Amino acid sequence: MKKLNLKLSVPLVLVVVISTLYACKKNFLSQTPLGVISPSTLANKAGVDGLLIGAYSLLDGVGGNGGGIDGAASNWLFGSVAAGDSYKGSQPSDGGADALPVGNYTYIAANPYINARYDILFAGVSRCNDVLATIPLAKDLGADDAKEDIAEARFLRGFYYLELRKQYGMLPWIDETTTDVNQPNNVEIWPKIEADLQAGIDGISETQAQKGRANKWVATAYLAKAYMFEHKFDAALALFHSLISTGVTARGQKFALNDVFQTNFSPQPGQKNSPESVFAAQTSVNDGASSNNGNKGDELGFPYASTSPGGCCGWNGPSQWLGNSYKTDANGLPFLDTFNTIGGDVSNGSRTNKYTGNLDPRIDITMGRPGIPYLDWGAPDATWIRDPTDGVFSPRKNVYSKAEKGTLSDATPGVWDAVQSVANNVNLMRYSDILLMAAEAEVESGTGSLATALDDVNQVRTRAGKPAGWVYLNSTYAPGSSTYAINATPADKYVVNTYPAGFFTDKATARKAIRFERKLELGMEGMRWYDLQRWDGASVSDPITNSDGSMAAEINAFFASDKAINSQLNEGHFTPGKNEYYAIPQSEIDKSKSTGKGVLVQNKGY
Amino acid sequence: MCILILCTLSSLAVTAQTKVTGKVIGSDDKQPVIGATVKIKGTNVGAVTDVNGNFTVNASTTDVLVISYIGYIAREVPVTGASLGTITLQINTSTLNEVVVTGYTAQRKKDITGAVAIVDVSAMKTVASGNTTSLLQGQASGVTVTNSGGPGETTSINIRGIGSIFSTAPLVIVDGVAGDLDNINVNDVESIQVLKDAGSASIYGVRGANGVVVVTTKKGKQGKAQITYDATYGTTRPLADGFKLGGTQTYMEAEFESQRNDGTIGGGPDGHPNQQFDPQGTGTWSIPDFISPAGKHTGDPGTTIADYTLNPLTGVGQQVTAANKVGTDWFHEVFKPAPIQQHNITASGGSDKSTYLMSLGYLNQQGTLLSTYEKRYSLRINTNFNVGDHVRVGENAYVYYKQNPKESGGNQNEGNVISYTYREPPIIPVYDIAGNYAGSRAPGLSNASNPVAIAQRNLKYNHNNDWVMTGNIYGEVDFLKHFNYRMTFGGQVDSYFYDSFGPTAYENAEGNTNANGYNEGAGYSNNYTWGNYLTYNQQFGKHSVKVLLGSEALTNTGRSVNGSRGNYQISIDPAYVTLNTGSPSGLQNGDSIYANTLESFFGRVEYAFNDKYLLSGNIRRDGSSYFAPGHQWGTFPSGSIGWRVSKEDFLKSVSWINDLKLRGGYGTLGSLSGVSLQPYNAYNLFNSTAGNSYYDINGTSTNPVLGIYGSQVGNISTTWETDKESNIGLDATLFNNKIDLSFDVYKKTVSGLLFQAQALAPAADKAAPYKNAGNLENTGFDFNITYHGNVNDFKYTLNLNLSHYKNLVSSLPVGVAYQDINSGGSTRLQNFVRLQPGEPVGEFFGYQDIGLYKDAADVTNSPGYSGAKPGLLKYKDINGDGKIDADDRTFIGNPNPKFTGGFNINASYKNFDLNAFFYGVYGNKVVNYVKYWLDFPQVFDGNVASNILTDSWHPGADNSNATIPVLTRSANLGNTAAFTSYYIENGSFLRMKTLQIGYSIPADQLKRFGIYKFRVFVLANNLFTITKYTGLDPELQNSTLNNNTNGDNTSFGIDFGNYPSAEKRYSLGVQVTF
Repeated sequence: MKKLNLKLSVPLVLVVVISTLYACKKNFLSQTPLGVISPSTLANKAGVDGLLIGAYSLLDGVGGNGGGIDGAASNWLFGSVAAGDSYKGSQPSDGGADALPVGNYTYIAANPYINARYDILFAGVSRCNDVLATIPLAKDLGADDAKEDIAEARFLRGFYYLELRKQYGMLPWIDETTTDVNQPNNVEIWPKIEADLQAGIDGISETQAQKGRANKWVATAYLAKAYMFEHKFDAALALFHSLISTGVTARGQKFALNDVFQTNFSPQPGQKNSPESVFAAQTSVNDGASSNNGNKGDELGFPYASTSPGGCCGWNGPSQWLGNSYKTDANGLPFLDTFNTIGGDVSNGSRTNKYTGNLDPRIDITMGRPGIPYLDWGAPDATWIRDPTDGVFSPRKNVYSKAEKGTLSDATPGVWDAVQSVANNVNLMRYSDILLMAAEAEVESGTGSLATALDDVNQVRTRAGKPAGWVYLNSTYAPGSSTYAINATPADKYVVNTYPAGFFTDKATARKAIRFERKLELGMEGMRWYDLQRWDGASVSDPITNSDGSMAAEINAFFASDKAINSQLNEGHFTPGKNEYYAIPQSEIDKSKSTGKGVLVQNKGY
Repeated sequence: MCILILCTLSSLAVTAQTKVTGKVIGSDDKQPVIGATVKIKGTNVGAVTDVNGNFTVNASTTDVLVISYIGYIAREVPVTGASLGTITLQINTSTLNEVVVTGYTAQRKKDITGAVAIVDVSAMKTVASGNTTSLLQGQASGVTVTNSGGPGETTSINIRGIGSIFSTAPLVIVDGVAGDLDNINVNDVESIQVLKDAGSASIYGVRGANGVVVVTTKKGKQGKAQITYDATYGTTRPLADGFKLGGTQTYMEAEFESQRNDGTIGGGPDGHPNQQFDPQGTGTWSIPDFISPAGKHTGDPGTTIADYTLNPLTGVGQQVTAANKVGTDWFHEVFKPAPIQQHNITASGGSDKSTYLMSLGYLNQQGTLLSTYEKRYSLRINTNFNVGDHVRVGENAYVYYKQNPKESGGNQNEGNVISYTYREPPIIPVYDIAGNYAGSRAPGLSNASNPVAIAQRNLKYNHNNDWVMTGNIYGEVDFLKHFNYRMTFGGQVDSYFYDSFGPTAYENAEGNTNANGYNEGAGYSNNYTWGNYLTYNQQFGKHSVKVLLGSEALTNTGRSVNGSRGNYQISIDPAYVTLNTGSPSGLQNGDSIYANTLESFFGRVEYAFNDKYLLSGNIRRDGSSYFAPGHQWGTFPSGSIGWRVSKEDFLKSVSWINDLKLRGGYGTLGSLSGVSLQPYNAYNLFNSTAGNSYYDINGTSTNPVLGIYGSQVGNISTTWETDKESNIGLDATLFNNKIDLSFDVYKKTVSGLLFQAQALAPAADKAAPYKNAGNLENTGFDFNITYHGNVNDFKYTLNLNLSHYKNLVSSLPVGVAYQDINSGGSTRLQNFVRLQPGEPVGEFFGYQDIGLYKDAADVTNSPGYSGAKPGLLKYKDINGDGKIDADDRTFIGNPNPKFTGGFNINASYKNFDLNAFFYGVYGNKVVNYVKYWLDFPQVFDGNVASNILTDSWHPGADNSNATIPVLTRSANLGNTAAFTSYYIENGSFLRMKTLQIGYSIPADQLKRFGIYKFRVFVLANNLFTITKYTGLDPELQNSTLNNNTNGDNTSFGIDFGNYPSAEKRYSLGVQVTF
């Protein structure tokens, strides 16, 4: 018995040991990554096409690293709130430790909003670089396609860098050849941005099969805009002239103002990408992406009532300061100097005296006001305002109509913010922006004409004055055309007129009128802060040598005025010589140091 | 070899044998000892006593029988005749000879050289809980367990400090296979050992870095079949006072004062008046009769049922809701007394050819929090077959089915049911006048949700189901006398299905017209281990040698799918709602997939000389698919020594020392740590996901085009984290075996800590790889002492265990000065946990408050900040620059306890028995984040603390006793815009976890019913907790928010409204053995 066992067990053990060794062959530990793509799979045309779409996809400020509400494509916080167009809004402590300090300039360099915008824009740069690095590896990519793809990727990189440059000042330049991303920010990158945008002009076709793609003219417009930041007005003016005379959209339509102002803010595919839409971040909803492709960056900026679009969260409400800007005189012209004080407050927001005079009709497209019809949602009442500190106005340019709810706003179940994620494109550049920049360039350039400047501005004001685009009482709103049925009773005393011929008697007069027109036309579109910076001269170089203090003056005037309405602004103060740029994120400074070199230098004052 | 063969043959020599019988009884109760082993000395031949303590064995008169049973001193009885009569075994109060399973082998306790805690399973069972892991709390020194009160909620364990910045969960080995302790039926557990140091745990290599919990389940024993029935039925009582909250009047007055202090009261109807309490802006506030429509009184238009137009399905329409003028007690609306019951039937038995055990378990624990429960049905079958004398095969199988809906939104989350009990204003009633839920849809009353609505919907619409099969099959063969070869194949298959429906929450301020939605998903996860083990065991005179060689191959795989649809319009009845019946718009789906492998080779040598000098060494080589070739393998050696000083001659005369052993060990262990979250860490990868890279480049508004993005940067040189552990300990048995004690001091250094690289923004779109950088250090001691005493029939055992650890981040990746951690998911106060060299893991970082600014002069004369004013928090000027800014933040609280400990009292008098168990934590700081919501009305206008009016700073009043900052609408550094020590409290507590009194009916009265044992008991858990903490319960689970969901272990001790584990529970129980 025992012998038998011995005889059996020894061979048995041997068999098992051998089979064990055999089974534990080398590839037991090699696991193919599941559900992901390896770099070699992408080295072809389809891969490059996909990567390029991926690079476009961050234009909306969502996806990738950073972004979202904190780093929105619309720049609602950095461009509008911080410049006095609007308030942070909501209840005081909602965002009281992060968003509010940005608006009040009490933020520290570790602020998450400061981080998020920086991150998402550099994510965009990184995706462009991946396109450019993959193109040479793609064997089946034809020369024409490669040229187009390179030009589009470089344009997008130029775009992301322009957004970065105007916000953060001096930055490291990272392109597809950079191996170590810890690069110093001691060299001015405007020339690099210009080169990328120029590459876009040189290489991208004039027309595209897809509406949302950049074309040669989009690249031209951004190069012109870059020149404006650099105060290269002659160069800018030349580009604006060609844009105005021959510029077309990606689908080949000549750039033009839409007759109806509201068309620019519609989520309808038939109205988006209009001739006025020079460049926009494309958004989509109900597309299986958990609302992430909608305009998520602005999702908190909706009125608060269940009878209003969104129903949350009362952020980014237009300021009294902006509301008062739409007052017009008997001639239908704005009060360039006295707008905030003359005749009381529009919609009586500060509890003093109520303004009863004329108004620019654009006010009621730009903001929701008590008693004024708000698309097809009825008129806002007290329930639309979340907190007494929020003033009386509601955001409006990013919303949808009741009829569009669920189809052009997201209806994904289980997503808390679905009804605040919308298919409204984020307008990055409208044709009116081009006209008004062109007018500025006419004034500032040695070769410009004040008369042409006046004409440019008046084109914008003419459109504002077209009754088809106004809001009417007791009227129905048609989302398909973005219009109210015209009737006898406009919602308020709308009087808006063009500047009479010869009004621009000198550069100073022209300058003041053009700049004010930008506030009225582009209000709540995240532009104001960067405009103030441009006019202040700070954007031209860093350190802030060219600053004339005008940016600080205007923003501090806003704080002084609107504190009476919004106690959240109590600590607001713009420090000249510092706040003309936002801080470089503290974490970037720290990470730069972590490799021992510490080459990234913080902006002045932070 | 020849000698070996001769030895083998010699044992075949046959001598004349006769049947020898006897009866074994215990010295303590004079009752038969069932299942005692009776062996002929020097052989494996023997028998086991039956239910009456009788045995029969074939033996010759030259033989000596060795009779042994756990808990008794083994006795040698020479075979003097055919009947040996009654043999009494002396009870052994010393546990030194106890054989415990320590990894791949079993050892006598006295031979152990590593740090091993042996858990008293019977004491552990006195705490009623569905989660077996939670029962380890206070039962083993060096083991820190934090429980939650929620049924089936996870329990966090640290063994000897914080061993990683990611999961610190120890490896759990059940019957030799990696398993799960949470869901084991506690009645099936035979023993639990915790391997704490490298000397004991490093045989588990890379999986042992956080310690190893070795669980052995009960097996059948030879003898007549035995059936045991165990049952308890109990009730859990909600905390009596809950959060200390204001009623409607207090709420209104606090809101009023915050506005009045800002000068924003009155102003007429156009002056942004409060819509509920003063709609006309008169400056005088009062509680309205109706909150929807806002601020209305009886008789006002819009306040009758005829005005009610709400469609609850879509959220469209007008609600009419009366005010609750006294105030809704939301806490007790959702926390109710809840039953718990457990039933277990075990059948076991066997013969010399086979043994079996079958155990059937049922657990039904209802949570006091409405809608939470755990139901588990379990079956265990353990069998063993002896094929001849040298071959054994068998299996351990455990199957269970579980339903365990947890708190909706997850525990420790500002958006869950518990948090809404303090966020929902008291003026809101549970239901509106039509019987639908009422809520913050009524204007001006915060953005909170109705917690009753969430809980009831959760109960009705959310289901989850889990089917798990775990266990192994094994075969082993003894050969060449001293060798044993064992092969096992085991693992776990977990298959799950869940579905949930979210109706439109029409009653809330936000999302009240969101689409309803249904979601369901299913998946499985498998792990398989194939193990081969060869052991050699031989005594040469005074030398004893044990060698183990083994190999294991482990495979983990899993997949899951889920889908959802929404916009159900016809009906939202759970019987109707399926994926097919929902609208295709908003349709979503998703899946996940993973596979990874681990391959290991290991060996262990144990050597003992004369039971006096003990030596043991381990080495393990592990290879993991998580790393790139060339960096996959790690080698982890350890060694330990023991010296039983009491065996030395110079101590033999010291009578009060029964046994004294000194131990020491050093070794290394490894860990995957965070890399387990990023399984393809080595590779550069791209991906394509709708939300991250698709783009609607055609401008369609609904149909984006596929895009691709770089999703990950790989690092091929990443490899294991390495733990270096040293341990010195002693075990002693003193004073005639009355005292057992053990003491260990240790140092545990984790090097090559796996940190996710902190990429600069231009590279940060892609997930950065984990890299080896940084070090952690834990030092501490474990102490355990037991005293056995008796006064006549009154016998008692006292046990105290104490654990202390000190944790330190000794370095971070080169050049990284600190790392700010997400603080349990709080984004409202920014990150307030900072990882910095020289500081412990988890330490809180913020402003140090030094009271309130007394008056204007105090503001002027003290370092200040923008917005500083009387009544706001005043901070310490840490850097002394005369102003308060971000540079004045400092470390303000360490959440790691100085001590944790358990104290057990076991006593018996005649047929009565008593068990009392205390658990304590000392010296930790916790963050009472709930104060952020309760002390500051401007934080979303949720409910306020009941003392807010009396204890806050009032302008112009005597504020010498004020502790709460002035009520205001503003958010600044002096109240809600920063994390400060205002939120930090002492987290020490002492809890009476258990008081149990049992009575066993005397055996002689039971025999005629065929009952061997009948015990009844009453049990009370959590009778009291002594603490200074002002929140619900200082025992705080980690938050499930944000990066904590990834197993991040760097922020803890933060109270967002934790499901309290301090709830009292009263139970009755019975144990019957047939």
